[in-house]
Amino acid sequence: MLKISKLHSGYNGNEILHGIDFEVRPNEIVAIIGPNGSGKSTLLKSIFNLCEVHSGKIMFKDKDITKLPTHDLIEEGISFVPQGRQVFSDLSVRENLEMGAYTIADKEVVKRNMAEVLKKFPFLKEKQNDYAFSLSGGQQQLLAIARALIQDPELILFDEPSLGLSPKAMKEVFEKIQEINKEGISVIIVEQNAKQAVKIANRTYVLEQGRIALEGGKHLLHDKKVKNIYFGGE
Amino acid sequence: MSLVLQLLMNGLIAGAIYALVASGFSLIYSTNKFVHFAHGSAVAVSAYFLYLLFSMFNFEFFLSVFLVILFAGAFGLLMDKAVYSQLRKRKASGLILLIASIALLILFESLILLFFGADVKTINLIKVEKGLEFFGAIITPLQIVIIVTSIVLLALLFVFMKRTKLGKAMRAVSDNKDVAEIMGISSTKIFAWSFVIGSAVAGVAGILIGLEQNLEPTMGTNLMIKGFTGAIIGGVGSVPGAILGSFLLGLAENFGIWFLPSGYKDAIAFVILFIFLIFRPQGILGIKKQGDKQAGA
Repeated sequence: MLKISKLHSGYNGNEILHGIDFEVRPNEIVAIIGPNGSGKSTLLKSIFNLCEVHSGKIMFKDKDITKLPTHDLIEEGISFVPQGRQVFSDLSVRENLEMGAYTIADKEVVKRNMAEVLKKFPFLKEKQNDYAFSLSGGQQQLLAIARALIQDPELILFDEPSLGLSPKAMKEVFEKIQEINKEGISVIIVEQNAKQAVKIANRTYVLEQGRIALEGGKHLLHDKKVKNIYFGGE
Repeated sequence: MSLVLQLLMNGLIAGAIYALVASGFSLIYSTNKFVHFAHGSAVAVSAYFLYLLFSMFNFEFFLSVFLVILFAGAFGLLMDKAVYSQLRKRKASGLILLIASIALLILFESLILLFFGADVKTINLIKVEKGLEFFGAIITPLQIVIIVTSIVLLALLFVFMKRTKLGKAMRAVSDNKDVAEIMGISSTKIFAWSFVIGSAVAGVAGILIGLEQNLEPTMGTNLMIKGFTGAIIGGVGSVPGAILGSFLLGLAENFGIWFLPSGYKDAIAFVILFIFLIFRPQGILGIKKQGDKQAGA
């Protein structure tokens, strides 16, 4: 459903990604792992038009989306959950969700999506009038996920969803991602926590210095090289 | 007793005007994240535009008011689009934008001087009349209009920020511009809207002060200092804080002249500004949040 070919991109004229070919098939969880600075986040940001694409093509459902602005990408069915539990901390939980639905003009659709999301995350319904900063780290990450879900996406991009979370919260977030995927939403997940990511993914891409070094399925869990470099040699 | 009441009234009147200046300034600061001193120009230019329409061209009063408010909003938008947006495109820092705003403030002060001259102007809407006695304090009908208009407008602004989609989007951009962009909220548009709305409120301040006092080319700078102080006292970037701070400043200035000669009124504002900048730069309502630096779950 998403196909990237020969992508070169970066920031301020500096190229970070040097020719990436990448694909997500319908209903897949695709993990992107790799060392710091290998360009994992840049790859996600390229899809969401948050950095400079120098050349290459990004196709979503057979449509060229390389130069589409953010609100159009959301309408096409792609949502982005940014790194580091980024919620609007001075807004209430409900207002955070409303901002997720900002691009949806039809009020009825917003209402329906809101009800659905609150059903999926009962604690958000309970805390809908609380400020987002009063939530715990794990709850903030779940709110960020809910805020993406309200856009009714077909593909969600997760940038380091477990960053800075306690093991318990991390587990909850990973479970939620799998749950979302079971409902038919495709997922791309960029993770430092490589082992967890490979475990839940159908396929994994290993990035090194802006190039794809390796691609494969769950067998990467037992791959010696991957184990040594990314799982801390376990 | 009547003196206390009189000073209280005077403080509220001053606070009402400062609050209009400060709330627009704070609104613009909260989304744009730079100090827009030329906000004072919007006040001054609006007051002179009212003088032009009403006193020179003899337009009907309410039509003049309506046109001045529209003009003020457009004036804010023009400053954003012609100057700030252009600088932003060239990746200018907040400091550069601040310097540009001081330049704009001086530019418009000079333009007013050029077109209207240095002598004070008066808008004669209402004949100076004896004020109403109110438990021994004197207050004119115009002063009551100033306080009521200010409070109603500030309440509307508050409701707008809390209840409307645009108001919430402004708060979202103020909170986290990058994430707002990811939600499809165009920060460029929100910047522009902040200028339009903030400057229109400044336009109302210009109208009210134009009716109450004389017009001088330097009035924008003077009011900007008061509005800025009010915003700092309350917590810069917080519109309710700016309103609270402005009323406190108005009251402090007026109760201060109980002890000091009235010429020290402006000095009181500066001393308060320094005290807050040194000891509580986040202002009264600027509470550091627990959740901000909390790691993990």
